[in-house]
Amino acid sequence: MKKVIIGGGQGFWGDSNDAAIHMVKHSNIQYMACDYLAELTLSIMARQKLKNPKAGYARDFLDMMCACGEDAWQKGIRILTDAGGMNVEGLAESLKQWAEGSGLRGMKIGYVTGDEIKADIPRLLAEGVTFENMDDVGDFQEIKDKIFNANVYFGHEPTLSCLEQGADIVVTGRSTDSALFLAPVMHELSIHPDDWDQLARGIMAGHLLECGGQGAGGNFDYGWREVPRMDELGFPIAEVSKEDFIITKAPDCGGIISEQSCKEQFLYEVHDPANYITPDVTVDISQAMLTQAGENRVRLRGVKGKERPEMLKLSMGYHAGYKVAAMLSFAWPDAYEKACMAADILIKKLKRKNLKAEEIRVDYIGLNALHLNVADMDPEKVKDINEVVMRIAIRTLTKEDAYKLVPEISPLQLNGPPGASFFGGRAKVQEVIGLWPTLIPRDALTLRSHIIEIK
Amino acid sequence: MAKKDIYLNQIAHGRSGDKGDTSNVCIFARKPEYYAIIKREVTTDKVQAHFGDMVKGEIIRYEVETLKGFNYVMTHALGGGATHSLRLDSLGKSMGSAFLRMKIQVEEDEI
Repeated sequence: MKKVIIGGGQGFWGDSNDAAIHMVKHSNIQYMACDYLAELTLSIMARQKLKNPKAGYARDFLDMMCACGEDAWQKGIRILTDAGGMNVEGLAESLKQWAEGSGLRGMKIGYVTGDEIKADIPRLLAEGVTFENMDDVGDFQEIKDKIFNANVYFGHEPTLSCLEQGADIVVTGRSTDSALFLAPVMHELSIHPDDWDQLARGIMAGHLLECGGQGAGGNFDYGWREVPRMDELGFPIAEVSKEDFIITKAPDCGGIISEQSCKEQFLYEVHDPANYITPDVTVDISQAMLTQAGENRVRLRGVKGKERPEMLKLSMGYHAGYKVAAMLSFAWPDAYEKACMAADILIKKLKRKNLKAEEIRVDYIGLNALHLNVADMDPEKVKDINEVVMRIAIRTLTKEDAYKLVPEISPLQLNGPPGASFFGGRAKVQEVIGLWPTLIPRDALTLRSHIIEIK
Repeated sequence: MAKKDIYLNQIAHGRSGDKGDTSNVCIFARKPEYYAIIKREVTTDKVQAHFGDMVKGEIIRYEVETLKGFNYVMTHALGGGATHSLRLDSLGKSMGSAFLRMKIQVEEDEI
């Protein structure tokens, strides 16, 4: 029974490299896939690239390769990542320099281009693509001149092609997270691209691994106190054959792999469990089962697949104004009452400055800034709290309007209710990036696989 | 039989995630026998009443009995989503615990 062993090395851009390094050193993985792209990441990378044409990818991946890339290459572990972001060629070139500098002769670096289609929008509009928002909000005409990036979520094909050409590292842009895991499963188990049930299993391997530590006892609501050695949290590993499917983790690391830890990740960010749509296959996990199969080993069964969708998801980031948030802290007695007065003063001052805001929001950190409506604001309990942080946030169309809040905060230390404490420096006005999810036909996209061989 | 109010988190655990302005919260029974209680008590109407105008769109509940769990998908639930949202928790990482803070009614001997 041929099986493939894959590790999840990264949950997002900014995640720790420790688990990936440990996994490469101490586990028997054959592949490691590292996800860096959340919904907004590409727009942030697009802004970085605009300022510096050499930027636009996750440099953190280079740090990871410096720490464990040579080790992985010597052990024959092949690594896949979407860290290329908005500058796949840029990351491939940096990896080439690293590999040459490390003397890794014969290493093949694969990369995939073509998912960024901003330049094609006018042509697609002319061809009748409407770019209707999947969430039923807004008019495309209003945002079409403010777009930063337009990336299509693509499936396994170009990544698999890199593996077939012998790539030791594959770099992509907006591949789906799960396709980075599906491609090696297909490659090793020779799965046909219309074997929907087998494809669905490969996707679920990706789904359980793509968030790194969250699949191995991190962010674990069920029993977080009982997770061993969270300071050395391991990331999950999948052992997949055509007949069996086990989630586990590397030896000698922290974390937990249990029915409950797998369940919490299993439905995470899935909408309809009977129709989990990916470019590769429509996955049905509505009858799936997770059972303990040993210490830190969980077996997955009952995953089904259906034909893949005709359309692909395109996500565009666009300029949507500005926002700024500022804070002031207050202590007992009457901390909440003082914080409310400070907010009231600020709102009056902003009104006098003729602020034009799309939205103004006031929360009290320590009381209701996370649970909002659901927080317990019983006046008897609130009256005697030790301390609270007033947070005011505004969203505006112009930078000038957003800036109106900035100089008003620190003066309240001397000019407002007693004991206000200003911290963290002056608030920074941020650009708001709107997301525009839409569907486009598959044939609107031309993806290309490339290979660089280190001489 | 006497009834009592409990927090949902006494019999369930879960996790929240986001896609744009949509929040999804998956909820699992802490013991298999609690699945039926959750199915009975945590209806979409009750979830809507619990969140009030924090969730401005519709709420759909999907049942996954084999996992003794449910997936709740709530649209227009994150104040516009990242980065539109002015909320401190714009990705709704704490929507899971906010959900599990819901009060439900059980028979004395049910748990």
